[in-house]
Amino acid sequence: MYDMKAYYESESVQHAVQLRLEHPEAHIIAGGSDVLVQMREGKRAGVELISIFMLDELRGVSIDEDENIRIGSLTSFSHITKDPIIQKYINVLGEAVDQVGGPQIRNIGTIGGNTCNGVTSADSASTLHAWEAIVELTGPNGVRRIPIKDFYIKAKVVDIREGEIQTAILIPKASYENTFGFYIKYAMRNALDIATNGCSVNVRLSEDKKTFERVRVAYGVAGPIPMRAPSAEEFINGKLVTMENIEAFANKVLEDINPRDSWRASKALRQHVAVESAKRCIIESVKRAGGTL
Amino acid sequence: MEFRCRINGEDIRLLGEPTERLRDVLYRTGYLSVRDSDDAEGFAGSDTIIFNGELKYSNFILLYQAEGAQIRTAEGLLSGRELNYVQKAMISAGIVASAYNAATAALILTWLLEKNPYPSREEIKEVLTSIFIRDAGYEHYYLAVKLAIELRDTGSYQSEIAPSFRPKLEIVGKPVDKIDGAALVSGEPVFVEDKVPANAWCLHVLRSPFASAYIKSIDISEAEKLDGVAAIITAENCPDVYYMQAGQGNPEPSPHDRRLFNRKVRHVGDRVAGIVARNKEIAYKAASLIKVEYEPTDAIFTVEEAMAEGAPLVHNGPVQYNAGAPADLDEFNARAGDEREGKVIYQFPLHANIQKNIAASNKGHIGDVDKGFEEADAIVDCTYQTTQIQHTPLEPHVCYAHVEGGRLVVNASTQVPYHLRRIVSWVCGIPENKIHVIKERVGGGYGSKQDILVEELTAYAAWKTGKPVYYRNTREEEFIANSTRHPMRCRVKMGGKKDGTITAIFMEVCANTGPYGNHCLTVPMNSCSKTLPLFKVDNMKYDLKVFYTNTPPAGAYQGYGTPKGTYGLMMAMAELAEKLGIDYKDMVSKNHVEEGYMLEILKGLGEGREGNVVPVGSCGLEEAIAKGCEMIDWGKKEVSDDPDWKIGKGFAMIMQGSGLPGLDHAEAIAKLETDGTVILNSGGADLGTGLDTISAKIVSEVLKLPMDRITVVSGDTDSCAFDTGSYASSGTFFSGNATLVATNNLKEKILAEAALQLEENVEDLDVRAPGEVYSKKTGACISYYKLTHTATSGGGRGQMIAHGSFVTAASSVPYGAHFAQVAVNIKTGEIKLQKFYALQDAGTPINPECALTQIYGAVMKSIGHSLYENMVLDKDGKCINANLTDYGAPMIGDAPDDFKSVLIDVDDKFGPFGAKSISEIACNGAAPAIGIAIHDACGVWIRSWPMTPEKILKELGKI
Repeated sequence: MYDMKAYYESESVQHAVQLRLEHPEAHIIAGGSDVLVQMREGKRAGVELISIFMLDELRGVSIDEDENIRIGSLTSFSHITKDPIIQKYINVLGEAVDQVGGPQIRNIGTIGGNTCNGVTSADSASTLHAWEAIVELTGPNGVRRIPIKDFYIKAKVVDIREGEIQTAILIPKASYENTFGFYIKYAMRNALDIATNGCSVNVRLSEDKKTFERVRVAYGVAGPIPMRAPSAEEFINGKLVTMENIEAFANKVLEDINPRDSWRASKALRQHVAVESAKRCIIESVKRAGGTL
Repeated sequence: MEFRCRINGEDIRLLGEPTERLRDVLYRTGYLSVRDSDDAEGFAGSDTIIFNGELKYSNFILLYQAEGAQIRTAEGLLSGRELNYVQKAMISAGIVASAYNAATAALILTWLLEKNPYPSREEIKEVLTSIFIRDAGYEHYYLAVKLAIELRDTGSYQSEIAPSFRPKLEIVGKPVDKIDGAALVSGEPVFVEDKVPANAWCLHVLRSPFASAYIKSIDISEAEKLDGVAAIITAENCPDVYYMQAGQGNPEPSPHDRRLFNRKVRHVGDRVAGIVARNKEIAYKAASLIKVEYEPTDAIFTVEEAMAEGAPLVHNGPVQYNAGAPADLDEFNARAGDEREGKVIYQFPLHANIQKNIAASNKGHIGDVDKGFEEADAIVDCTYQTTQIQHTPLEPHVCYAHVEGGRLVVNASTQVPYHLRRIVSWVCGIPENKIHVIKERVGGGYGSKQDILVEELTAYAAWKTGKPVYYRNTREEEFIANSTRHPMRCRVKMGGKKDGTITAIFMEVCANTGPYGNHCLTVPMNSCSKTLPLFKVDNMKYDLKVFYTNTPPAGAYQGYGTPKGTYGLMMAMAELAEKLGIDYKDMVSKNHVEEGYMLEILKGLGEGREGNVVPVGSCGLEEAIAKGCEMIDWGKKEVSDDPDWKIGKGFAMIMQGSGLPGLDHAEAIAKLETDGTVILNSGGADLGTGLDTISAKIVSEVLKLPMDRITVVSGDTDSCAFDTGSYASSGTFFSGNATLVATNNLKEKILAEAALQLEENVEDLDVRAPGEVYSKKTGACISYYKLTHTATSGGGRGQMIAHGSFVTAASSVPYGAHFAQVAVNIKTGEIKLQKFYALQDAGTPINPECALTQIYGAVMKSIGHSLYENMVLDKDGKCINANLTDYGAPMIGDAPDDFKSVLIDVDDKFGPFGAKSISEIACNGAAPAIGIAIHDACGVWIRSWPMTPEKILKELGKI
């Protein structure tokens, strides 16, 4: 039995917003794979919960009128991995969330939950950062859309305001068009482990595939929240596709990231891995983009 | 509230609170296959169901979400009593071992095969990603799917399940379905938790937040007043009985250094109070009302801290000896500390000194090591550190006890029913005839259920209150208040000549037993006694000391001390080979023992008494090494296409014992029932490894009776006879031999009765299938049915019942060699296990398919302790990764790509039909084989567990 004070089921997005306003202390529960695990650890003992589990309108992937990829916040990881739109335009996201737990979790866990818990190690987080996702929140004043980098405020804290729930994650066309990415989860073992470092890179090459037009790199577990590596990106954008540039780009990420020592891994290991992963990710991204090295 | 859903094709109304876990409701409603082994952590997969066509953890589904859902559980796989094809194949493949997750795994595989009739290896692996299998490993899951497909498509198996041994025997040495397989894989009520009635009271333990503290005061008055609290047991009101929790032969080689509750707590998680309440909620409330005033004292966590001058003492009370007290005992006790320290009582001397935190020690030697080192051309002197590892059985420690007819009945998941009864008898102060221990199916033991860690308190709580009492460890308690592998520091000094001859070995072992001395002498001794006898070396010396500290407790773990000693010795030999510039395999070949070699080293290595010096008996070591080298292509350097990945190979020799000669004892009673069938009452405790099947096969082989006419009742202290239990690899050898003796005795009685009934000479008679006696002289024959019917009809000579007792001084040692091929990424430090070949001489493997899966399971555990697992303590001694996700046990994704177990065919003189032990030894090889392979790949020696990418990168100078 979970220790909860009250449990409210939302019947619509508007109802969820109303419940949020009526019960400002309540936590939101979607699939349950994070909230319920934390509750069993006693972390949220005695809380009120607002469930958005039944809101089927928040499930599914589509292309909206502005040609954004729209991922409903309750879309499960396994759905994302199997979805044809994801596979066509941003396959790397499907690959990243396929590394969460096992099938039982991926059928339950949602992309909205994965981002709203504000955890740096979330497998979707670095890829969504690297693709400059937009987070859509619906609240009493309607819809608010913010870049994902602004959504994460600090460890385990995200920008969800009074009365709001997250309703979708959008990937703008400018972000996914002609763009190819790769994700590496570095973990201590293959079995259901939490990332020691997550690195997601995507590239857009010039028409002749010789020049990096746009490179974006983002990390999980390289700091308290997921983060981009701007110095590295700035360095490589517009440069030729060469191993020298890639090496320099990868080493540059150390200027941007700030991992910490923990019992799982030392800062030195995380830094070392961040460089190696950036290198491998960009090489694989170049290959996927049709470039050669 | 009521919720309607469809379960296994039937409309069902589930009753409960809307936000209850669906898992709990399903179990309560009778779907027992939906179990929970991770307290809803989302790791072990025991709670997996098919929910609207998808695999989901039912712990993460709230009851109300099941309204209108289509649900499938393993119960739906059966047609009447008939298992489905996947369940049958799983039993045949030998993977229904302790089987806590077996029914769920059958459900998952059935679902896979419905969607995908011919899945690839990768697809099978994918669906098994999040089901934790700790007993049989994953390798035979692939075989089970293959067999299931064959059975589905053709009605029979085409593939070989396991090799067969001993062509002259009918059933021993052949794969035959495990007799408890059907009950386990179908989700029958076979575990302790399934025997607990709805009116059972709950026992909850309040635990210490401090690693070391005196309890200044404890006030239970408010808590006691709560309605629904039957008793609160503390150090102030518990029996003043000192005992130890290790399930070992009496007198035990472990100190009696604790009571049920003590006035000093010695680790984070140590018992402070036991609350017997009507339900958990009341128990938690009561716990919150207990006022404890602690007086924290300095704690120590490592052997280095424990041995330091002026170190805080973990035990500092007066000491008593039941035998062999030293002359200066009074003087020693005059220095004892605070009376809240309690006592330490030794059954016999363990060469301990609690005033130096030494729980036990031992040393000995043969030859002259100093001279040996002088003769050496090169010497290595290195220290190898192992870590604290938890068994993580899927079924946690659990016990149900109640009073019936003035007797205490204990349903237990234990490896040692009789030791359990003895300790409960001591603690409760009641004689053994008043206690009935029923060993249920054990959902994973691996040594942790050799110890009486929860049963003595649960039994006492039931006896004291008269209530039916149920206790179950949380997963966190499994880590912090249970039993673990002793961390050890093993220094090995080894000298050798240029030709590879080892001239001397010195092993210095410092072990950490934690706050209490369970197995404190014998586990560390195993690190020497089950390793040094592999070597034909004239000069060997060992010196071991075991220290008390304030870590979570240590105890028995499959392999005992041997994995640690083997890691040190084999790594040191490989380091020495490198220094001498010779091939490691040549060095191994030059120095290992062979049949007939007299093992003088054993003299000092008894379990607290003088050891038996015996020659090496049946020994498949050489063959295992030769075959393994051939399989892995030893000496050939493998090169990866990717220059970042470096490939290397390694191997290790391994040995163990088959029980403890001169200490272990097993009995069995064989009865010919009134229709000519047999019920065998075996004292042995099948902990999922197939011991009951071994017993049945032995009866079948001797009496030529079909397996379905033999029933084995085991581990029940009322109906069976004494057996020391299943530990030290004794099951097959001791309990099996007791069954053999009992069955041979029954056969004699059958023949004697038949001689009278047929009026023939007994010498002319023999038994034959399907259970009859015939005369070799006249051809006359009589069925067991007729024989026993006449004997038990008025005027007959009575039922034929035979008893068998087995003790021995003979030692049957299993040998083997484990080989690993690893790829190490020198940029990222990642380690891939490309190949693992486990070659073992188990004598005659009575259940060859189970022998193979036991090896796979043990190797997976030892891959875990080599590469991933480690209990991490913070500065205050609190384990910070006391859950399955953070702890790091390997699962299917971590299994070697190419994984093979091979049974070396060697017959043994002493084992039943030539059988030796199989599973413990299989824990010994992985660490050194992998460690040596890592060095071969990238040139660094990783001298501590776990061998992580971080350590590799550090050794390579990359970070």
